[in-house]
Amino acid sequence: MSRNEVLVDAEWAIAHLADETVVFVEVDEDTAAYDTNHISGAVRLDWKSDLQDGTRRDFVSKEAFEALLGKKGILADHTVVLYGGNNNWFAAYAYWYFKLYGHKDVRLLDGGRKKWELEGRELVSDVVELPATTYVAQEQDLSIRAFRDDVIKAIGVQNLVDVRSPDEYAGRLLAPAHLPQEQSQVAGHIPTAANIPWSKTAAEDGSFKSDEELKAIYENAGVDFDKDTIAYCRIGERSAHSWFVLHELLGAKNVRNYDGSWTEYGSLVGVPVALGDEPGQA
Amino acid sequence: MSSCGAVVGGVSLDRVDIAKEAVIQGVVHKDGKPAPIGYVRLHDANDEFTAEVPVSSLGEFRFFAAPGNWTLVALVPGATTRAEVSAELGQITDLDLLVA
Repeated sequence: MSRNEVLVDAEWAIAHLADETVVFVEVDEDTAAYDTNHISGAVRLDWKSDLQDGTRRDFVSKEAFEALLGKKGILADHTVVLYGGNNNWFAAYAYWYFKLYGHKDVRLLDGGRKKWELEGRELVSDVVELPATTYVAQEQDLSIRAFRDDVIKAIGVQNLVDVRSPDEYAGRLLAPAHLPQEQSQVAGHIPTAANIPWSKTAAEDGSFKSDEELKAIYENAGVDFDKDTIAYCRIGERSAHSWFVLHELLGAKNVRNYDGSWTEYGSLVGVPVALGDEPGQA
Repeated sequence: MSSCGAVVGGVSLDRVDIAKEAVIQGVVHKDGKPAPIGYVRLHDANDEFTAEVPVSSLGEFRFFAAPGNWTLVALVPGATTRAEVSAELGQITDLDLLVA
């Protein structure tokens, strides 16, 4: 997979705004962002209300995903370009989610909403409704999704990559520092996990660093590309960003995103937890 | 499950127990006025990125840090600025970030 098959820049986006084979999708958790303005022609996906089951902690079913994308006017052979706020965290999560359900051609707008805004590019407030389609999804590709038992078995065996900030990894913060810190999980990280914050992979404007820089970041932090890898964060969206880097940009094999992440692992009874800046022992 | 998403301007303090938080908040100004478009990044004592929020239409931002020294980086179209700040538990630290 090469970078230009999975990532587009603003110039490419502008050249394809009227291309009927391309659908732009803004993905946020803060729905007010899209309501205020968005890229011309973009439809909206809500990270929470559209992509989460709502009762159980899990994703929507294949049938519900088909109904959702059909309602949004997306076809399985569309090129879907995702972008959003939070340095594309939720767009990367949606990217991974689209891949989970087998969408063939999905790409990220490099830098997402932030880079677009900081460059003063046009945003519009007209809400777009594309004609409904019949979308056909595939069964979930579980080769890219890790569950808690996979993670426990991976301790000391596979690459575990904790992509949260150093303070969250060490247990000094329980959540990203834009959120209140009172949380129900214990603090710390999964023993043997390397701390490679997602932010190391992106420039200040949210765009991804070069492949050479990205590879060096992981190798210097001890990731062995001959081993399988599981990435996690707090709820799986920052780690989807790092999954995108490892699997889609760097082409690493057998990389899975643990969407349960610390909100699940940090609540499990009897599992090992490491505190402090070091990975800890298996 | 609550999201990790950053709320524009920062999470409201309405239902937050300030005694358990070390809050850093303020307003980004550009050319003497609140900046309606911009982002504020919080870096830790080693200058590692920790969090980021988009500013509100009035240029406001808010973080819930740990006690200690932090750096704020404001990004607005065409300009950036940095400022050092110290946070304390149970305190709200207010500061203005001025971008030329």
